[in-house]
Amino acid sequence: MSVELWVGMIVAALGTYLIRLLPLLWMQRRLTRSNAEGNVDALPKWLVILGPMMIAAVLGVSLVPRTPDIAGWLATLVGLGVTLVVWRRTRSLGWPVVAGVLTFGIVVIVARGVA
Amino acid sequence: MSDIGISRRPHGWLMGVREAVPLLGGYIPVAISFGLISTQAGFSTAETLAISTLIYAGASQFLFVGMVASGSPLWLTVAMTLLINVRHVVYAPNLAPWLPKSRWWPWLMHGLTDQVFALAHNRLSQLPEHQRIGWFFGAAMLAWISWIAGSLLGAVGGEWVTSRWPLLGEVMPFALPALFVVLIVPRFTSRRWAAALSVSVAVGLLCTLIGLTNIGIPLAATCGALCFYMVRLPEMAGPGKGGRA
Repeated sequence: MSVELWVGMIVAALGTYLIRLLPLLWMQRRLTRSNAEGNVDALPKWLVILGPMMIAAVLGVSLVPRTPDIAGWLATLVGLGVTLVVWRRTRSLGWPVVAGVLTFGIVVIVARGVA
Repeated sequence: MSDIGISRRPHGWLMGVREAVPLLGGYIPVAISFGLISTQAGFSTAETLAISTLIYAGASQFLFVGMVASGSPLWLTVAMTLLINVRHVVYAPNLAPWLPKSRWWPWLMHGLTDQVFALAHNRLSQLPEHQRIGWFFGAAMLAWISWIAGSLLGAVGGEWVTSRWPLLGEVMPFALPALFVVLIVPRFTSRRWAAALSVSVAVGLLCTLIGLTNIGIPLAATCGALCFYMVRLPEMAGPGKGGRA
């Protein structure tokens, strides 16, 4: 990379870091001020709603399989079903993911073998 | 494999590392792809690693190397990279109420990716205060290191890895939707929340299907939030009304 490109990359990196950092400093200041004023609910309502919506959006974006053929979609559906069943039983984070990934892999292999 | 509600807990950082393991299934294959594409676009291994270490934001890294390789003006490349990452502005304020005072938080914000946010948003409120910074450090550090290691692997031997284990790159990324579904399901606490979250998932899925991956996350989240404000549904009887945590 040329010096110019290095500078561009560092500006992009610094900008990305500031995008992550500055809102934290703003909110920490807001929380400190609210606590001093005895206001216990300092988090704006729209922010409380937007947080889970961002997670749901990331889920939606990640749902499309790498190979979006019938086997891929079938594996996604069955994998999600198994993930949810294991989550209902264990209420943990790890086991449902392991079960989901294994199921996804098995369904992809079997479906491609049959096709 | 975290079992929420265990009375004897290990160190916070160790819990963070353990609970972030599912992220590796998504991070490593994508990072390998990035390393491979970056070297094919003319970047050296060291430059690829520098981009992954410093920018550390998947979609925007692909855009950065792609635009540089296609000869786009540098200012436009940087502007587009930042534009894609603007969605991150809502992450830290959502976590702030659960972050105990520490001078380390500003440094740790470098690790606040989409996936780490999703995990932290779910877990930080459930942890005792003294474990939260350790937990975040462990989870964010594992994710960061795996991203850098995956980029290195992709830059050095990406073609070999993808030809040797073609299914690996297809199966392992399912860890991400599996993890996100586990994180989001407990938030279906009322019909209103269920409708809004479903809209968000559906719009995100649709955006990806029509090739709008980069704008998909903020657009889908906005649609979900609009649905939450605009649609009034009769509430189901339930323990919570869908507030945070």
